[in-house]
Amino acid sequence: MSVDKTPAWQALAKHAETQKKEHLAELFRQDPNRFENYSYQTDTFLLDLSKQRITSETLELLGDLAEQQQLGKWIDKLVNGATVNHSEQRAALHTALRQPLDKPLLVDGQDVVFDVHSSLLKMELLVAQIHNAQWRGYSGKPITDVVNIGVGGSNLGPLMACEALSGDTHAREISVHFVSSMDGSELSTLLGGLDAASTLFIIASKSFSTIDTLANAKTAREWLVTASKKPVELINQHHFIAVTASPEKAMKWGVPDRNQLLFWDWVGGRYSLWSTIGLPIALKIGMAGFQAMLKGAHDMDVHFRESPFKENLPVLLALMGVWNINFLNIHAHAVLPYDGRLATLPGYLEQLEMESNGKNVNHAGERVAYNTCPILWGEIGSNAQHAFYQLLHQGTEPVMSDFIASSQRYQKQGDELKEQHKLSLVNCLAQSRLLALGDAVQDDDENTPYFKRYFGNQPSTTILFDELTPEVFGGLIALYEHKVYVQSVIWEINPFDQWGVELGKQMATSLLPGFEGTVDETVDASTKGLLKYILRKQGIRDEN
Amino acid sequence: MKINVYGSTLAAWVAAACLAKVGNDVCLQECRAGKKKEKLESLGDISVIKDEPGLRDQINLQIESGRLNRVTRTELTDVNVHWLALEPNDQLLAEKIIDAIAIKGAEKTLIINQGNFEVGATATLNARVSEQCPDVLFAYIPDNLEQGNALNGFLKSKRITIGGDTNKAVMLAKGLLRPFCQNIEHMQIMSSKEAEFTKFATTGMLAIRLGYINELANLADQLDVDIDVIREGMGVDPRIGRHYLSPGCGFGGQNFHAYISKFSDIFEEKGKSSLLKTVLDENEVQKELLFRKLWQHYESDLIDKKVVIWGASFKSGTASIDNAPSLRVIDALLSQGVVVNVYDPEALENIQARYGTEIGVYYHTDMYQAAKECDALLLMTEWPEFLSPDYKKLHDLMNQPLIIDGRNIFDKKILAAEGFKYIGVGR
Repeated sequence: MSVDKTPAWQALAKHAETQKKEHLAELFRQDPNRFENYSYQTDTFLLDLSKQRITSETLELLGDLAEQQQLGKWIDKLVNGATVNHSEQRAALHTALRQPLDKPLLVDGQDVVFDVHSSLLKMELLVAQIHNAQWRGYSGKPITDVVNIGVGGSNLGPLMACEALSGDTHAREISVHFVSSMDGSELSTLLGGLDAASTLFIIASKSFSTIDTLANAKTAREWLVTASKKPVELINQHHFIAVTASPEKAMKWGVPDRNQLLFWDWVGGRYSLWSTIGLPIALKIGMAGFQAMLKGAHDMDVHFRESPFKENLPVLLALMGVWNINFLNIHAHAVLPYDGRLATLPGYLEQLEMESNGKNVNHAGERVAYNTCPILWGEIGSNAQHAFYQLLHQGTEPVMSDFIASSQRYQKQGDELKEQHKLSLVNCLAQSRLLALGDAVQDDDENTPYFKRYFGNQPSTTILFDELTPEVFGGLIALYEHKVYVQSVIWEINPFDQWGVELGKQMATSLLPGFEGTVDETVDASTKGLLKYILRKQGIRDEN
Repeated sequence: MKINVYGSTLAAWVAAACLAKVGNDVCLQECRAGKKKEKLESLGDISVIKDEPGLRDQINLQIESGRLNRVTRTELTDVNVHWLALEPNDQLLAEKIIDAIAIKGAEKTLIINQGNFEVGATATLNARVSEQCPDVLFAYIPDNLEQGNALNGFLKSKRITIGGDTNKAVMLAKGLLRPFCQNIEHMQIMSSKEAEFTKFATTGMLAIRLGYINELANLADQLDVDIDVIREGMGVDPRIGRHYLSPGCGFGGQNFHAYISKFSDIFEEKGKSSLLKTVLDENEVQKELLFRKLWQHYESDLIDKKVVIWGASFKSGTASIDNAPSLRVIDALLSQGVVVNVYDPEALENIQARYGTEIGVYYHTDMYQAAKECDALLLMTEWPEFLSPDYKKLHDLMNQPLIIDGRNIFDKKILAAEGFKYIGVGR
């Protein structure tokens, strides 16, 4: 039976009929203890759901839905390495990537935690060599700049972590750069400012066949060969590290075994920053910082596995989404970190949530009859106030939001910066309040002209933590990973595949000859028209 | 005169020994910030003494004569002169000492500051106590220490600068230094602030010359020009002269490096200029030059290679390895798994103390045996005994006859004739 036909779902639908008519301002009036009743704390995080359009009954019914969907069993399957990715017949063991060595996990007779730590150890040695200024380029100079070439999960996670975190590593500072776009625009700008003799490239690609990445890697290698006048084998050995699950392909490209860091098929790209894909993070914040990030994520894993649903942060966060999407018909989700260091978090979550749960087929292979992942976007909250908040406050679309902030910052810096942090927090609280209550926050709302009115009732979650350390950051990302998984269980979809991105790649390959001048006359009129226009502008004659 | 000397720097030891030698009654307190000494170290364990030729003997002699006393805590009263030779970063300690002198209420006392703290430091120290004790006089006397020739440099000074802000202070300082002025060529009197600036400026100038000639040598390598010819051409120009114009694999040493770092900081902070910092940074890069030449010669592959290093001290005439280029090169070689044989006539003990039983380093007391079966010889210090070695013996012992000369002491034609592959700095 499809989940939307089940008793638990139907009970929620019925409950929503009355709940839809309630305004958050009214809910706060009825229950002055909403914060105490609907906020949840661990040692690290505070999750405030009191500005969600819920009552205790809502939570109860959502809990029933989770039970009905056998969430507990699914969590066990995930962390124990069962095949949860059915379309590709494999496990999704990102939790094993942060599991301590003394907690082995046997999958098909193999201790994957041991393998994980072996791979991390190799990474640690490479990191130490680079930090100690003993990784040498072709001229014998030590490496000063590292360029990560990767796209999707091989880019977004490490990029976000590097921007969010500054470790207290005593190691030499390495400049870490990121290059992803297929058109080479980032790479071409970057190369002009780098010294080839002291630049090392990381080719991060699970399959080692991603065309975007290989195109950038090829350009990088040409640049090195030209600058050094050295044979390509020498350049491969001293200027490239491959991070991949396809070592034989990396080898074929030219990266020797000792420069390879491996991860496995069972690590999804968008769940891979915990693996050796995190090499740029370790280079930026130090290996100790990277380990702290893993620890924070592992602590969240333990919390996810062991806490009852009623206190389980990822479960609660996920169920709020389900309630808003499926029962209150809200299909837009804004991610609003009030912290400039988390500027790339929205971009990261766009991939994590939309690539994972942007699915319309359930486990049985049938088209689902309900909504799954909403449109998700975001921006640093205080910047977004000057951009799309207008729509949140007075537009016609209902939107749910996540407000994310640290309660402490700049502890060792001057008062001016502390003051700026305070200002940011004040805005964070003011905006979520206004979104929830609307102009009910003001006493006198009778005579206000219509264009100055705020309807409110836009639900939001607030996530707070003390300071943005590597450990807290690890926990925050793991919180969202598990949230996504819980939602996939409720919706009965597979969050670990991404077939929707495959056909486009094939299509691109088949269109390539068109750019050589052989336009396939059977393609649709629009594509044909665009192609011919480009060929004309490039001065290439269509041979047909 | 009764003199208290403070500090555990080479300057402090040299001043104490020399002042005692000419008849003063000297009391040395070996203080440095953060380290309270309860017991006196044996002279043999103090590296600045060990590394300086003749210094230990001279100190022993003065101690035996009774004129030099080493103490853990100094008596402040009844002393004519307090001589402060502290580390560049020990200004707070200097302030403490001076405050203590002031509390004791000393009269007619001369305080000599020899520490290179900052420009204006001596005047600042003076200002702390000038109201309370107007009879305490201050002067700044820069140390013109040349490691390896420190004793002679002090005893037979050719140049002396006295930075004093009152006639009385200058007069007393002159009197104190009179016994060392037999060979004097220049005696300059200026304000303490000017003298401090001069000291920094001179050291900085030397560093810039060395940095510049090293850059020129690296460019000469690229352009296939012999830097020796260029250097000769530059040196005959009287505006330039020949001093400090030998390219090499970087400068080191305790004092030179410390002063330039200090001055570089002042420059960056007050003048927002990074000139000296660039010189220092480039010098660090230059220290690895011989490694890079070896790396390039062997096409970036040093696996299973064995290398001999001739000379590990930062310059000849001293056993000191402080900031020595050899350390950077040994570290780089070990990281690549290269076996490193080290020979140095004086500094071997210091190298052994640093690397101990680390895998891959071997210590040799015979320069030829050290080169046995090696794939390269890296010459890093210009010890006289390296100038004219038995080329044939060396050639026969080595696995690959490759000499990388970090001090340009060899004649490349002779080496070529002897069958060596020669790589110099800018040649």
